[in-house]
Amino acid sequence: MIKVESATRRYGALTAVDQVSFEVGKNEIVGFVGPNGAGKSTMLKMLSTFIHPSEGSVTVAGHDAVTEPLAVRHNIGYLSGDTPLYQEMRVDKFLRFIAEARGLTGDALEQGLAKAIDLCSLDTVLKQRVKECSTGFRQRIGLATALVHNPPVLLLDEPTHGFDPMQVLAFRDTLRSLRENRAILFSTHIIGDVEAISDRVLIIHQGRLLGDGRVQDLAERAGIPGAGLEEVFAHLVRTTAPTHV
Amino acid sequence: MSDTEIIDHTVPRLSAGKFIRGTRIVFGRELEAYFDSPIAYIYAAVFLVLSCTTFMNSFFLDGIVDMSPYFEILPFLLIPFVPAITMRAWAEEHAQHTFELLMTLPLHSSQAVLGKFLAALSFYALVLAGSLPIVLMLVFLGDPDLGLIFSSYLGALLLGAFFLSFGLFASGLTRDQIVAFVLATLCGFFFVLSGHEQVVEVLDGLSPAWQLGTWLYESISVLPHYQAFGRGVIAFSDLVYFALMSGFFVWMNQLSLQRSKY
Repeated sequence: MIKVESATRRYGALTAVDQVSFEVGKNEIVGFVGPNGAGKSTMLKMLSTFIHPSEGSVTVAGHDAVTEPLAVRHNIGYLSGDTPLYQEMRVDKFLRFIAEARGLTGDALEQGLAKAIDLCSLDTVLKQRVKECSTGFRQRIGLATALVHNPPVLLLDEPTHGFDPMQVLAFRDTLRSLRENRAILFSTHIIGDVEAISDRVLIIHQGRLLGDGRVQDLAERAGIPGAGLEEVFAHLVRTTAPTHV
Repeated sequence: MSDTEIIDHTVPRLSAGKFIRGTRIVFGRELEAYFDSPIAYIYAAVFLVLSCTTFMNSFFLDGIVDMSPYFEILPFLLIPFVPAITMRAWAEEHAQHTFELLMTLPLHSSQAVLGKFLAALSFYALVLAGSLPIVLMLVFLGDPDLGLIFSSYLGALLLGAFFLSFGLFASGLTRDQIVAFVLATLCGFFFVLSGHEQVVEVLDGLSPAWQLGTWLYESISVLPHYQAFGRGVIAFSDLVYFALMSGFFVWMNQLSLQRSKY
């Protein structure tokens, strides 16, 4: 569902993502882990078609992100790291705007809205303006915008940002329930989220992919069998010499 | 949400109907956003007071029973007024990070640009319609030339569309609303003042060989094209001027959105 081949993204002299390749298949939840500024968000922005790769290719649901951006956007639900929401709009109107812009009409529109509202537990804030909602609710509204059209590919950038511990647990359950027939890629720097729900982990540092696999496999490859993701992550990041700034 | 078969994820071709639907969705949100903001009501009130005051002065003091003073002052009022409408259009999207949301929805960038442009034009048209009671008053008091009034309003609408197009373009170039306002205001000054008689004379005087002022007046300035409508003349060339100039800046606005991808 997601195929990235040698994707590179440069901002002037800065290489934010450097020759990154990976795939995410159907029924798979993949955690994208890395320190702040590692290139996680840049990678997700390329997958969402918001920016183009400087080199390499990015394919989502069989469509090239550069040459077929509309086709890619039809197939993704994307929650950006900034959780962009129209602050002045009422929550119900905002979700309806997103659903309509995603091409939903009639029954599909009403069903999509009802399910997204139910999954993200937004019933109590529907008549409030977005700016009146708490940080946790805003994050859930953002998640609802990514889910409203029931997309086959979910791209979530720091989805648990602003959640309290109970909301994090609920989010993990929600994500697990969404796995069927879907490819889910989420970025985070919270190791616990990744260990709890990911089938596979991508570790990125300074724009380079340092590891791609199950935690156990990565630990063995790193020469620390049995180690948890935190140790594997720290080991890989520390043993990687900075190659560029 | 596991029943992914509910929603068809095959990619629809962007037909004319789908293009209009997407544009209408953006248009609806944008127009609602104008009325969500108290600033819009303040702008509308200030604009109406200023423009109608001009008319009332000539009506009561000079005894002129037509709307020409209102339409003569309009281009100068629009120089700051339209940028005040458009400055937030894209700059606020950047500031609130909703630009990324909008640009990752399955909409063509031209749908987003047109939706915003048409919403701004509708808001402007509503503000312009605030002067219609003057027309009713003239009809009640005398026998005004309704054809002339109609062509003048058409000119005012086209003038506003032109100002809005470069105002939106300026807003798309920056994250700062003040910068967007200043850029669009400077642009407005250029297009209006280049058609002002004294400016033309000064520029011609500075470069007698080039006749720069005359060249600007004849080829670029908006004033001669707008003033023709005020004389009751709806010429094809003037309609083409407004269509081309507005279309050019709308197109430039769309192009400027693409630069964020590279």
